[in-house]
Amino acid sequence: MRRKASLVLLACAVFCAALAPLVRWYAFPRLARIPANQYQDMVLEARNATLLDYGTLRAKKVPKVTIVQTLKGDVEAAKKIARTAGRPVVVWDSLSYVQGPDGTMVSKVPERYIFDAHSQDPVHATGEMVDGDPVKREGIEFKWPFLTQKRDYEYFDAQTRTTNPIHYRDTRTFRGLTVYYFEQTVPWTKVPMPKTMPVRGITPESVARTGTTRWYTTVRRFWVEPVTGAPVYGEEIHQEELRGGTLLGGRAKVTAFAGHVKMREDYIDHTVDLVRHNRTLVLALTSYVPWGSLGLGLSFLALSLLLEARARRPQDPAGTRTQEPEPVSA
Amino acid sequence: MRALIAAATGLALALALVLTVSALGSPSGRTSPEPLLTTVPAHP
Repeated sequence: MRRKASLVLLACAVFCAALAPLVRWYAFPRLARIPANQYQDMVLEARNATLLDYGTLRAKKVPKVTIVQTLKGDVEAAKKIARTAGRPVVVWDSLSYVQGPDGTMVSKVPERYIFDAHSQDPVHATGEMVDGDPVKREGIEFKWPFLTQKRDYEYFDAQTRTTNPIHYRDTRTFRGLTVYYFEQTVPWTKVPMPKTMPVRGITPESVARTGTTRWYTTVRRFWVEPVTGAPVYGEEIHQEELRGGTLLGGRAKVTAFAGHVKMREDYIDHTVDLVRHNRTLVLALTSYVPWGSLGLGLSFLALSLLLEARARRPQDPAGTRTQEPEPVSA
Repeated sequence: MRALIAAATGLALALALVLTVSALGSPSGRTSPEPLLTTVPAHP
């Protein structure tokens, strides 16, 4: 009976011990993926910002500029691209919609971002674009990879359509979560006019004919939860200028937008809660299950060896009695 | 010999479980019918 039990325990020990590396290195890359059907919105605000009045072409102070950013996964496109790419793919259609204090549209920039569902590596396919311009992204955008490391990453900037390093600065605590703080400065760069302009009748082509160009600089900051790679908070110190040309009436430049863009408070709370939940799921695959099953496997093995040792110990024959020594005659 | 069979059984079960769960994966679902927003949502 003991020998049978020790064999069952041995099977359990091997099962648990094998489960640990299999979950960590086989199941984790296949199960921890961005869902293809993700839908997420985000509201950012810049209070006391400077905004160009397109009527007078003069910059003015406004109480608030709001940026509504939506990400929507295109499942059908993802399946199609995944078949040719040979790996799981996520296709995000995003829209950054900027709204002035009176609710009027300031700009709207659509994007299509295609990337590997686990590693976050960009995948190049037809349809990848920023504001209708085909692009070939390098690096990451919006989200860091699972198990983010304390190092610089290449980050794609949609305005300049270029990739530059985003630097790991330090580790911080943000609302009870340990996060990595990343920062990137994009120097003044000439960027294309948005395809959709805030004033009807004005097009990027008509502005280009005047010789006026658009320039942009930003300091981008992200607080990234390293297990999920999800930013829990983000800020941008963003500046845009129109420079030169006849449109400005002899002025060298005019501020089109300047503001400190921050996530809206209720969205921060929502994001932190969401990331905290997803963090537990990722940790289950990378830490809880592997280490737990390894510990359980070792316990089963110890128990199995103990039972086996007891089963092998020679036993006293049943029913025998210790006999009294016979008297010896002197 | 019996110990070897027990160990092999444990290993096979672990492989079968992980391969099955990984193959099933997570369902990809459908594209959300929600639009890309052009208005400011009141709350997340």
